[in-house]
Amino acid sequence: MIKAILLIVALLMLGCAEKLVRVMPYEKEYFAQDKMSLSPLSERAEQEGHIFLIREASAGGESSFQGGCGCR
Amino acid sequence: MSLKYLLLSIMSLFLLEVGSLASSLKDSMSFGVNSYNDNADVQVYSPTLSLFKKVSHQWMIGFKMRIDTISAASIKNGANAGHVDAVTSASSTEDALYDDIRYAPTFMATYDDGENMLSFGAYYSTEKDYTGKAVFMNYVRQLNEQNTAIGIGFSQSFDKWNPVFDRALPRDERNERKIDFSINQLITPTFSMQAVYSNMYSEGFLSSPYHYVLQNNIAKFENYPQTRAGHAMALKGVYLLNATNAMNFSYRYYFDDWDISSHTLSVEELHDFSSKFMSGIKLRYYTQTKSNFVQDIGNYTLADKYFVTDYRMSAFDSFNVGIPFIYKLESGNKMTASIDYYQTTDNDYVKSWYGVDNISAVFTTLSYEFDY
Repeated sequence: MIKAILLIVALLMLGCAEKLVRVMPYEKEYFAQDKMSLSPLSERAEQEGHIFLIREASAGGESSFQGGCGCR
Repeated sequence: MSLKYLLLSIMSLFLLEVGSLASSLKDSMSFGVNSYNDNADVQVYSPTLSLFKKVSHQWMIGFKMRIDTISAASIKNGANAGHVDAVTSASSTEDALYDDIRYAPTFMATYDDGENMLSFGAYYSTEKDYTGKAVFMNYVRQLNEQNTAIGIGFSQSFDKWNPVFDRALPRDERNERKIDFSINQLITPTFSMQAVYSNMYSEGFLSSPYHYVLQNNIAKFENYPQTRAGHAMALKGVYLLNATNAMNFSYRYYFDDWDISSHTLSVEELHDFSSKFMSGIKLRYYTQTKSNFVQDIGNYTLADKYFVTDYRMSAFDSFNVGIPFIYKLESGNKMTASIDYYQTTDNDYVKSWYGVDNISAVFTTLSYEFDY
């Protein structure tokens, strides 16, 4: 799985550069707004991550770190 | 291929000519308080603090602190939320304001030159019966005129159990390694997407030292396999509906070698009520299958290798609905808050251990963030 991901990343970097430039710098204004963030409330995202890690048996899918605890 | 060689190889791909674009680092601070209350008689109040300071144009150091003050019937009684536990005995003193307090500081440093961002740090947590230690690193490379961002993250934890009652665990360590790959792509001026893959490996004492199976002829502490390998794949997106409304969504598929697989779907709509105030609604749905070693309650035999009391090893669904708030002050600082309601479906293991049909909880966050 990891080797496949590395291959995809290498292809992205080498072969598709022009097609991936889809938004010019002067068109990026909306992405600076809070509502255009995947996690507009960082404190809540951390709290949710902690609670769902304790209350459910799944993890991952977030590119951030969550520390462990002895929560029962 | 060893992990160290793999990481060095990946990073060498990204060490192209380093430009001197403006970094996004800034001095900032936030403090707040979070809460969690559920029907299993758990209440947690958590003051939080974060402080970030630029030490040069491209370097920043940071510190975060979280303190969990925990009151829980399961701690008062020893383990079982429903009654005083004769096996594990109570682990809190009667006149204590809280049953347990967890301190969790995190130290980190960040390098950002506009094209490359590297963060690394260390985490430590301590509570009565558990010590958590971890190191982590995250690297993001901007490509294609900052339309594409490729990221890799790594964390390794070295946690340790220290049960409050006299029990010699077969192993007291609980270690987890996690590797994340992410790709973020701007699709249009109003739409971006992100894909994340996580690879996780845990080993050590992976159950709870306090949980036990009690049947007519059996009294056994929980016992799980000593290793667990999991994978998660997530697809996320954020889309501007119009000038005052945006929507973000995410889907995650998880599976592991315990045969637990899950689907998580969330969608959030955010609305600007004014130039200063934003709110919205978030919905989340989660469903998971059971592990390959859990059995129906009452069906364990002395010949079984694994014993389960924790509902998280069984199949269940959960729902979450929440409302976020952001209020921007004149100075540019902001206050954020949220309130969420969470509930699982009815579950026999929840009923057996907690004495309630399902787990339902309310959790909140409140924080004040400012640049200085």
